[in-house]
Amino acid sequence: MPDTTKFAGMGGDSSSDSSLQANTVLKSRYKILGVVGGGGMGTVYQARDLNFPDVRRVVAVKEMLNPTSDPALHNSTLRTFQREANILAALNHPAIPKIFDFFDQKDRVYLVMEFINGSDLESLLAKTKELPVEKIIEWSIDLCDVINYLHTQPKPIVFRDLKPSNIMIDSFGKIRLIDFGIAKIFDSGVKKHTMIGTEGYCAPEQYKGDVTILSDIYSLGATLHHILTRQDPRLAPPFSFPERPIQQYNPKVPDGLVSVVEKALQFEPANRFQNCEEMKAELEKLRLQPQIVIAPQAGRGTAMAGTDFFDNMTATGAIEPKWKFTAEDEIRSSPTAHKEMAFVGSYDTNVYAVNLTTGAFIWKYASHGGIASSPVVDESNRLVVFGSEDNTFYALDYRTGRINWSYVTQDKIRCTPRVAHDHIFVGSDDGHLYALAAPNGRFRWKYQVGDPIRSRPYVTNEVIIFGAETGEVFGLDLDGKRKWSYRTRRPVNSSPFVDVNEGICYIGSSDNNVYALDASSGYSSLRFRTNGPVISSPVVEGDLLFFGSADGTLYAINAQTFREKWKFTIEKPIISSPIVYQGAVYFGGTDEYFYCVDMQTGKERWKFKTNGPITSTACIANDVILFGSFDKTLYALPLVN
Amino acid sequence: MDLFRRLFTQSPSKPQDKPAVSDSSRPKETAPMEPPSARTAEPSPGTPPAVETVAPTVADGATRPLPPETVISTSNEHLSFGQSTDVGMVRTTNQDTAYSMFSTSRSADQRPDFGLFIVADGMGGHHDGEKASAMAAHVVATHIATNVYLPMLRGENDADRMPITEAMISAVQKANTDIIAKVPEGGTTLTAVAIVGDLAYIVHVGDSRVYLITRDGLEQITRDHSLVQRLVELDQLTPEEAINHHQKNVLYRALGQSDTVEVDALTRRLPPKSRVMLCSDGLWNLVNEEEIAALVMQHNNPQEACDKLVALANTHGGTDNITAIILQIPG
Repeated sequence: MPDTTKFAGMGGDSSSDSSLQANTVLKSRYKILGVVGGGGMGTVYQARDLNFPDVRRVVAVKEMLNPTSDPALHNSTLRTFQREANILAALNHPAIPKIFDFFDQKDRVYLVMEFINGSDLESLLAKTKELPVEKIIEWSIDLCDVINYLHTQPKPIVFRDLKPSNIMIDSFGKIRLIDFGIAKIFDSGVKKHTMIGTEGYCAPEQYKGDVTILSDIYSLGATLHHILTRQDPRLAPPFSFPERPIQQYNPKVPDGLVSVVEKALQFEPANRFQNCEEMKAELEKLRLQPQIVIAPQAGRGTAMAGTDFFDNMTATGAIEPKWKFTAEDEIRSSPTAHKEMAFVGSYDTNVYAVNLTTGAFIWKYASHGGIASSPVVDESNRLVVFGSEDNTFYALDYRTGRINWSYVTQDKIRCTPRVAHDHIFVGSDDGHLYALAAPNGRFRWKYQVGDPIRSRPYVTNEVIIFGAETGEVFGLDLDGKRKWSYRTRRPVNSSPFVDVNEGICYIGSSDNNVYALDASSGYSSLRFRTNGPVISSPVVEGDLLFFGSADGTLYAINAQTFREKWKFTIEKPIISSPIVYQGAVYFGGTDEYFYCVDMQTGKERWKFKTNGPITSTACIANDVILFGSFDKTLYALPLVN
Repeated sequence: MDLFRRLFTQSPSKPQDKPAVSDSSRPKETAPMEPPSARTAEPSPGTPPAVETVAPTVADGATRPLPPETVISTSNEHLSFGQSTDVGMVRTTNQDTAYSMFSTSRSADQRPDFGLFIVADGMGGHHDGEKASAMAAHVVATHIATNVYLPMLRGENDADRMPITEAMISAVQKANTDIIAKVPEGGTTLTAVAIVGDLAYIVHVGDSRVYLITRDGLEQITRDHSLVQRLVELDQLTPEEAINHHQKNVLYRALGQSDTVEVDALTRRLPPKSRVMLCSDGLWNLVNEEEIAALVMQHNNPQEACDKLVALANTHGGTDNITAIILQIPG
């Protein structure tokens, strides 16, 4: 490409052994203007043909080094080159550049051909953000056409090396195949030492030495996959195309094109298209269907019937709550269920117990402040425990709602308690974490942080982990001594989740990150940045970590690598924590909706509208999903699949 | 230290005072590093948290016990390691680089044991291979020392520090950039293990390997980024065919290959008494896994095990440079 012309050798004479100087004249006829491409097997120059003194006729000159010093081998390599060049010169197809001349000079051979003014697909990918799918279909058809031309020669020619950098788009927008495998003649092919880099586009059987026209079909599939997804196969493990579903990277690609590419990319040659005619015919069918052009906009409209079904269900209110229970003020904290009972706290100062199946009121207990802490059941002591904004921590008999014991701190309690080792661990806005004996509320110890603790502690056999308004995450041993602390940049109101098998703690911070910390030392191994404070508490299921962010997104990332798997975005912050149940993720949004999303794909299964923001984390028991909303209501939705 | 503080910190170290569940699982002497806040905390009551219930309540799914083997030893023992590298019987230069550092301390300020171990197997002519592997190891070591080890020594643990895995990955990426800039014709594999306490942070590019060896056998923790390994995974080649494949030395991922490199990263908690081995393909190509496992577990001195493995690879032909680093985990 003329605009990228650079003159070799200008930087000094050290490179004189590799490239020709500008103005060098080859064979008294081709005056080198500059390098247009190169690397690997040879250099390509732009040159002027001096046989046409009155016009500026520009040609491309490809230079290849014949490295063999053994004269016999040298000559046989040269003969192979001449034979191949003759074959190329005899080809006649608009997508194949014309060969004008070839010759050898010292240890190099030269091929003179038509200069194509344009850009190869690899650079085009780098220069553009998006290529129209219809255009790619056109190019694919033309590629099938020219490859078919090669394959149907009296002696079929296998291109062997189809890839975006070997496909030019000329100034008329038409494809041209460049860089025939001729250069490979000069490659010994013996790989004695460790080599870096695979072709990325080669068919698996090529590595066994079986190269047929079906290998070109695989490479064509690989090339199309790269252009459509913009995922470079050379940077991925070889033959890993099935791991990168096309529509995941480019939802605008119609299903028909996906099937064509997938069929071309079959491992088994017998399962691919058996010739380019077949493949071209399939592609032409896509061109005839006008609707594929509108497909990208269709999105939701063409969604599967199943999704419509759910959309309609919610639109018409078809997901009917099994029951609702209304308190006198907002429900901000999370409900819990035990046996046949559900418990929930409200800003109306009460904790309510209702029947899990019917929602019928059983008892309520009135504190003297709003309830922001979520009630927790301690089965062994038959207690339901919670904190109140009246500074007091309450332990009630869960069957009757009668008070068993209480403990007063110096400030509001908005932290959800943790029951473990027959103790209750709970933080207070007075800046302490308290350890109380569960049976009687006796004070064991407290740990001073200095700022409010609203993050729910996680307790293992070795360590108690919680976050604090100071921005720190603390790891205490069971007698309340600090083992470690980790300081984030903003308050930590998210509650930790500990993967006890790996000993890794996951926690969010208002500094927008989610961190992975070594639960035994507090050293961080990874962090994941969102665009808003993370108050939602992470949860691990399988190898995935789920959490919401105030940026309005629910994230699913790989727990080991912190690479994003999918995200699901709503219009308002997600404060509540997700829960995972039977392949689905459930969470509420401050946009007043409660969502059910597929755990593997992040696709919405259904949503349910309430009349207030939801910060309450759901609880699933007895086939009902329980959660509270700012609309004062505790909802029990049926568990539908 | 005033009397009150001493009393406070010493009281839990009396064996009978310790909570039952954690009795066997914590160091006998907790270093008396005290949170500043403890001074204002109320003194520990006569009876410390009576955690009589050995079986934790699992009411809300919070407290599944840690598997016992993840608990590090209570003794003063620490990790020991050996390192051995050899040019082999065929090559004239050793393009492998091996790097080991280990730090352990006993002090009032608790600092975890820290180790960094690296194997890099260089490739490329004109000494480019050995330059690339040396550069990779030293760039990674420098980056980890700066971003992980020194902050740890200073007692810094906060979000201003790069998380360890992130630091490991960026170290490898930095090595890649440096190699491309300074040794453009060279390339290298790189496998690094950082140890913090009993947790191993592993990063890996190429076909050098990390094995975890226990009494139960040997497990290859890393996955080779080689063409044949990939073909084997896809059932396109049998493992036997892979051993003699003419492209068995072709890697699809290495440092020095392209501007960006994807780095495999994983963490593993190391069981007590286990061994971790890092090695180049010059070892694993010539000494099979049964031999490796047997030899490593036979020796209590990791240096001796390394030397014997390298010697064994040489007796099997020594066709490539051979490098092994073995870490012996206390327990």
